[in-house]
Amino acid sequence: MTEPVREIKKPLPEITPITQPFWEAAANGKLVMQRCSDCQSWVWCPRPACVECGSEKLQWTPVSGRGNIFAFTVIREVVGRALRGFAKDIPYVTAWIDLDEGPRICSNVVQCPIEKVAIGMPVEVVFEEAGQRIFLPKFRPR
Amino acid sequence: MSIRGKTAIAGIGETPTDRLGSKPGEPRKVTAEYLAWAARLALEDAGLTKKDFDGQGLAAIYTTNHSQPFWPEEVANILGIAPAVSLGGGNGGASAVSLLGQAAAMINVGLVDLVLCVAAAAPFSEQGRNRTEPADTRDFEMPFGVMGPNCKISFVMSRYMYESGMTADHFGKIAVTARYHATLNPDAYLRKPLTLEEYKRARMISDPIRLYDCVLPANGGKAYIIASPERAKTLHKPPVYLLGWGERNNASAGPRSNANPLITGIRESGKAAFEMAGVTHNDIDLLGLYDDYVPIIMLQIEDLGFCGKNDREFFEKTDFTFKGDLPIQTGGGMINCGQPSTTGGMLHVIEAVRQLRGEGGARQVPDAKVGVVTGLGAVNYGKNFGCTAAAILGKEV
Repeated sequence: MTEPVREIKKPLPEITPITQPFWEAAANGKLVMQRCSDCQSWVWCPRPACVECGSEKLQWTPVSGRGNIFAFTVIREVVGRALRGFAKDIPYVTAWIDLDEGPRICSNVVQCPIEKVAIGMPVEVVFEEAGQRIFLPKFRPR
Repeated sequence: MSIRGKTAIAGIGETPTDRLGSKPGEPRKVTAEYLAWAARLALEDAGLTKKDFDGQGLAAIYTTNHSQPFWPEEVANILGIAPAVSLGGGNGGASAVSLLGQAAAMINVGLVDLVLCVAAAAPFSEQGRNRTEPADTRDFEMPFGVMGPNCKISFVMSRYMYESGMTADHFGKIAVTARYHATLNPDAYLRKPLTLEEYKRARMISDPIRLYDCVLPANGGKAYIIASPERAKTLHKPPVYLLGWGERNNASAGPRSNANPLITGIRESGKAAFEMAGVTHNDIDLLGLYDDYVPIIMLQIEDLGFCGKNDREFFEKTDFTFKGDLPIQTGGGMINCGQPSTTGGMLHVIEAVRQLRGEGGARQVPDAKVGVVTGLGAVNYGKNFGCTAAAILGKEV
């Protein structure tokens, strides 16, 4: 008989009034970001007001979920107790994706052999459930 | 109003670096012990006592593993002094350089004429507590398994290699130079010579970051004393003047949602420091650049204007050793001397003071008169460092 192994949980985002629309959309398979109605700037990560012009007229706006890998790394070691839950996934890829609309999002590249991952690679969003009805936007080759 | 030459560093103190507590059963020291030790060494160096700091200035740097909102007061309490002004350094690794300017401003307006700046951390021997992360990190990085600065600086380095064509040879040259200086510094922690081959063979931590690209976490304490020139001239050691200073936080090269991560706020903070000091690049005898990772040293050399962006040839041709064209990391840098959390940012200030006093021993830069030191803190989402500061120190006003 094997000992029961208790799964070490991965950290989940804290849902705040500012970030809630993002996570609600993600649970419905949509990627949305804030856009300023006054200066048209994209605002990411979520903010209470436009970080370019200061306007409070921010609109949650759908983005295509398509972009290219701007930079990436292969995680090969766990650092810190809070992230021990990722030990079983090592090695895995984290990346900065520049979306076609402009904003840069930090995520994982999935459904792709690590050695194929490259800067410039075209990718598209795919949502993965992380528990507690939270869906994380990840990216796969397109 | 400029603070050029209106203050001088009059004392430095640095405990030995250790990693006690990284193995079970080792004797351990707590943060307060490293703190009091470093402060005492700085007082002895200047020829002052703690009584001299009643009614003077205190600057205490918050650490990442011991976050306590009343930290400057706890530091005064640990040391048994009654400051007239307490500053808290909340700019992470940039705090030591940032506080140079803030302390100088207080001295310059006549609030105090001495400030003791002190920091310590014991990440190996004390269990961290109350650690909190910025909301962007907590909500949009950690759920994806972003392993702290190793991962975030790997993004920067991967992009840097892509845009500049820099290879392991370029990064390795910097790592080998810094280690060479550490072999000449009795206070360094890693003192065994490092070859380019060893650098390249070392394991990947977070591609393209290899083991010897990374700073070495450590326990330790560091302190400096800054004073009005009149006061400094009455103390034990020759004054080292603050000639120029600049700070720039939350810089963004381009739109905030899509910034160029290869340009740091050092471009602005360094420019401000050069302008205040009224010196040119040719006047600079040494650089002490905040070095949590090797590629960051190179980005700062570019951002300070010693070469253009992505200038491979400059990095290939320049001799960065203490006797060379542009000496950097003359004591080995944090990568070889250790990083006791945010205390690590003090290292370059202390080393520059040693060099400008002529106390550099086997690694003394010949005829060193002017040096640049930098500090960096917090790695922002999708960019690079949130906090940046630069200072120019000189032997003469």
